[in-house]
Amino acid sequence: MVSGGGLELVGISKRFGAVKALNDVSLSFKPGEVHAVLGENGAGKSTLVNVMAGLTAPDSGHVIADGRELPAGDPVASRRAGLGVVHQHFTLVPSLSAAENIALFRMRTAPGRFDVAALAAPALERAKTLGWTLEPDAKAESLPVGAKQRIEILKSICDDEPFLLFDEPTAPLSPDEVEDLLRILRRLADEGRVVVLVAHKLKEVLAVADRVSVLRRGEVQAAGLAARDITADQLATLMVGELPHAKPLGARATSHGGLVAQELTVPGDSGAPAVRRVSFSARRGEIIGIGGVDGNGQVELAEAIAGIRPFRGDLTFDGGPVRDVAYIPADRHADGLALEMDVADNLLLGRLRSWPRRREVEPWARELIEKFEVKTSGPAQAAVELSGGNQQKLIVARTLDREPDLVVAVNPTRGLDVKATAFVCDQLRAARDRGAAVVLISADLDELFEVADQVSFMSAGALSPAQSAASLVGGTP
Amino acid sequence: MRSRAATFGLTAAGLLAILILTLLVFGMPVGASLRLIVEGAFGDKYGVARTIVRIAPLLLTGLGVTVAWRAGMYNIGGEGQYVIGGVCGAWVAKLIAGSPSAVATPLLVAACIAGGAAYGALAGWLKARRGVNIVISTILLNFIALQILSWAVSGPLRQRGSTLPWSDELPRAVMFYRPDHASDLHAGVALALVAALAVYLLLFRTRWGFLVRLVGINPRAAQVNLIDPNRVQVAAMALSGALCGLAAAVQYVGISGQLSVEFSQNWGFLGIPVALLGGLHPGGLLLSSAYFGTLRAGTANLARFSQGGDTLVFVIQAVAVLGLAGIRGYTSLRRPVAEAV
Amino acid sequence: MNEILAILPYAAPVAYAALGETIGERSGVINIGLEGTMLFAAYGGLVGVSHFHGPYPVLVGLLLGCLFGVIVAVGSGFLTVLLKADQVVVGTAINLLALGVTGTLFRVEYGHSGKLLSVPTLSRISGIDWVVAGLVVAVPAVWLLLHRTRWGLAVRSTGEYPRAAEAAGYSVPRLRLQAAALGGALAGLGGSYLVLGTAGGFTENMTNGRGFVAIALVTFGRMNPWLVFGAALLIGYLDALQLELQAKGTAVPREVLISLPYLVALIVLVGVGKRRVAS
Repeated sequence: MVSGGGLELVGISKRFGAVKALNDVSLSFKPGEVHAVLGENGAGKSTLVNVMAGLTAPDSGHVIADGRELPAGDPVASRRAGLGVVHQHFTLVPSLSAAENIALFRMRTAPGRFDVAALAAPALERAKTLGWTLEPDAKAESLPVGAKQRIEILKSICDDEPFLLFDEPTAPLSPDEVEDLLRILRRLADEGRVVVLVAHKLKEVLAVADRVSVLRRGEVQAAGLAARDITADQLATLMVGELPHAKPLGARATSHGGLVAQELTVPGDSGAPAVRRVSFSARRGEIIGIGGVDGNGQVELAEAIAGIRPFRGDLTFDGGPVRDVAYIPADRHADGLALEMDVADNLLLGRLRSWPRRREVEPWARELIEKFEVKTSGPAQAAVELSGGNQQKLIVARTLDREPDLVVAVNPTRGLDVKATAFVCDQLRAARDRGAAVVLISADLDELFEVADQVSFMSAGALSPAQSAASLVGGTP
Repeated sequence: MRSRAATFGLTAAGLLAILILTLLVFGMPVGASLRLIVEGAFGDKYGVARTIVRIAPLLLTGLGVTVAWRAGMYNIGGEGQYVIGGVCGAWVAKLIAGSPSAVATPLLVAACIAGGAAYGALAGWLKARRGVNIVISTILLNFIALQILSWAVSGPLRQRGSTLPWSDELPRAVMFYRPDHASDLHAGVALALVAALAVYLLLFRTRWGFLVRLVGINPRAAQVNLIDPNRVQVAAMALSGALCGLAAAVQYVGISGQLSVEFSQNWGFLGIPVALLGGLHPGGLLLSSAYFGTLRAGTANLARFSQGGDTLVFVIQAVAVLGLAGIRGYTSLRRPVAEAV
Repeated sequence: MNEILAILPYAAPVAYAALGETIGERSGVINIGLEGTMLFAAYGGLVGVSHFHGPYPVLVGLLLGCLFGVIVAVGSGFLTVLLKADQVVVGTAINLLALGVTGTLFRVEYGHSGKLLSVPTLSRISGIDWVVAGLVVAVPAVWLLLHRTRWGLAVRSTGEYPRAAEAAGYSVPRLRLQAAALGGALAGLGGSYLVLGTAGGFTENMTNGRGFVAIALVTFGRMNPWLVFGAALLIGYLDALQLELQAKGTAVPREVLISLPYLVALIVLVGVGKRRVAS
């Protein structure tokens, strides 16, 4: 048995610029229990994880482990106090072996001579007791996702850490692996640990958690509810608020034509397929919503449609080849904008095929700025100086202004405030009403239910059949 | 945003301060040294001519560096591209020896440009196709180019009957027009101004120039909009090399009329600080090349009368670039970055 | 055997610089200013040996060279690591600065220009001095440091995946500056040995591209000290071969021989090409 008392969050607040990521969050976690913290994207989960792990110092409030306050923003101190964190994005060095990765993680806090095998030994011992086979000399880059996660888990439990924090651990896993992981979580809690599971998939949470707390827009919506007393519907309502009444199935647009994808298989960056034999259609005058947790092939699918990524299978628009896709990429800084260039230049990215004459540029840019309500000092302002919402409006403006027939948008409202979110959603609706086929890929359930006519979900590269929002709320995704 | 005039004033004051400080650090008399520099650069009409003919190649190689760096290609190979441009020019000069100047002069210039462009494109291609780091490949290609020059002038291009390693002398008529035969000033320097204007228009007024700047800032954004960044970058390297080749043409057809191992006077290398201090903008390059051209002419004079001399320019350029890099880094660290929630 | 021993003094400066650069690049920083670092250190060697009048002036020269190397490397690390200035810009400026400062000082202080100023050198036993012999220790030492110590593992992680080093509780900038300092010391040893061992004197711009070649060596030795050292020997061999062939007189143009090291480096880089993991 591991003994370490409880873990408590007291009045934690954190803001980034104008956005309140966390507002007076107080939660308490008991040993021996799996305690799930639920919330959709943007609810403040990542910030909460970072505060608990000591990676972000909160503006106010503190974390108390076994009665002692942890120094804010000090990850090494948090570890010394017995907090193990399994991050959503792995922190493994690709070319190092499993043993070396474990040693790297432990050597800062473990005294004595430097010896990779000795540093990794307790973790390998743990692996044995959990019934895992782990090849200590295998390089991290050669391991499948599930094995990488096991290394991450071993790293955080090999010193008998009494407090464990898992950040969206099921996101990259296949259904079988998820089941294994949930069993492990249960077991770790049964050994007397505090296990905090930060997640947003209702089904998994209800399958394993003893208690559930819900975050919404940075605030605690419900704290420490007993999991057995609550239904998925109730949780969903707590997470996203009252769902708008969705259109029933069968209200599909009657027009013909649009995007038809058949048996699409798209390779990921590693070369292995990220999208497997996916078929769907998006008719003109219709918004098709594709939900799911990030990293399940959505971006690859979008890039295949946009012509950036090669694919196998059939992709047609109005019966012919797909041309001129208005693509709103997921990562607006990496893929969407040239931040050091000015507003006009970033708008011009949408005119590569119809390059304007020099003297047309400025009036055209001003027109778009006005039409799409971009708050900027003018076309010559650098894009980097704009707020996130206005940066996104730039992308929306340049892609939608030319009235495209096909729109593909990935998480177009991520990180935006309420007004900007509404604006982007309105623009997508306007494109639909003009007769465009719109594919909206989003991890935000709220947004999907509100904007899309049809919703399907993507998981491990596969796509569920399209359904209406109403049926989804009852059955949970 | 600070106004351009203020930036220019501060930069000019900073550069003068660096010059004076450098003189002090090396224990040279400031007043006398400055006088020698100014006299060397502007003392008489020959001085002015000396200055102008030093500005032209700096401006051209600076423009070459600008085009490549704007595209995110850290071309350190201006020196090699310049040298290969010169070798190609001398080679064509040998092939068409005896042609009328109306044919020969443009052909020579074209040959220099083509040679530089090909050498630049080679490095670009190695980067795009084979992933060879552009900095390392262009540096290695510089050394190889210098050996090619040395081999050419002592072998195939050596002047007939000469035992010394230099090429045939161009006939006066083939060389650029000189208003005064006693000074080095020649009509070819106008090419540098034309090139500066052309590069400006290309970079900031055309679709291709837009793509060059875009690829340098965010190649992914180009890719997402279905532009192949590699193609843009290889083309930018070719243009970069072409401009360095043009610099070689201006020196070869304008000044030396002959190639020797001394043909390269670090013009390609010095184009880098000129471009950086000119803010990678043709307008700024006019000023920075003017400053360093003046300094190069002036310190040549200083070297005749004192121990320290032309290497001072390197120090001043380097300190200025380091200072600028430091200030840029410092201010951008100060700039608050919006954090993702 | 004697031929191999004969190339070692030629290979040693590049080998030390490349070993140092290996450490730096392992931490994720390319020191484009390596050429300038070596040149500064070479000048440091000259200053040490000619201004110090006690015992072991050559040793003092080598130490001063190392010190110059550390100062230059940490200074450029300050700009690139802490102020996040562009590595290529800073490196290029460092090279230019070295050329200018050493050139000007050399003329002002020693009144020479373009000529070799002879200095006392390390004593050799059958062609080998202790700096050259030290390579036998330095290569495995660098390898052990990188692969068998906490610091080495942290540095390698920092270069390959900084998030992992951060998650393990390390400061990435601090590790990078430490690696830069150590790399600078080795580059400094190489640079000052160029004066006090290889050449036995100083001339302007005497590094003549060795720093750049060292960077190329690290790339094609794939940041493995043994392979990097092997590559340095190959380049040293080409260098020595070139001198020997020139002396004997061959049909091959001299320039082809001189450019062999650069050509070979370039060809190998093309071969290594895309296999290299981007940092």
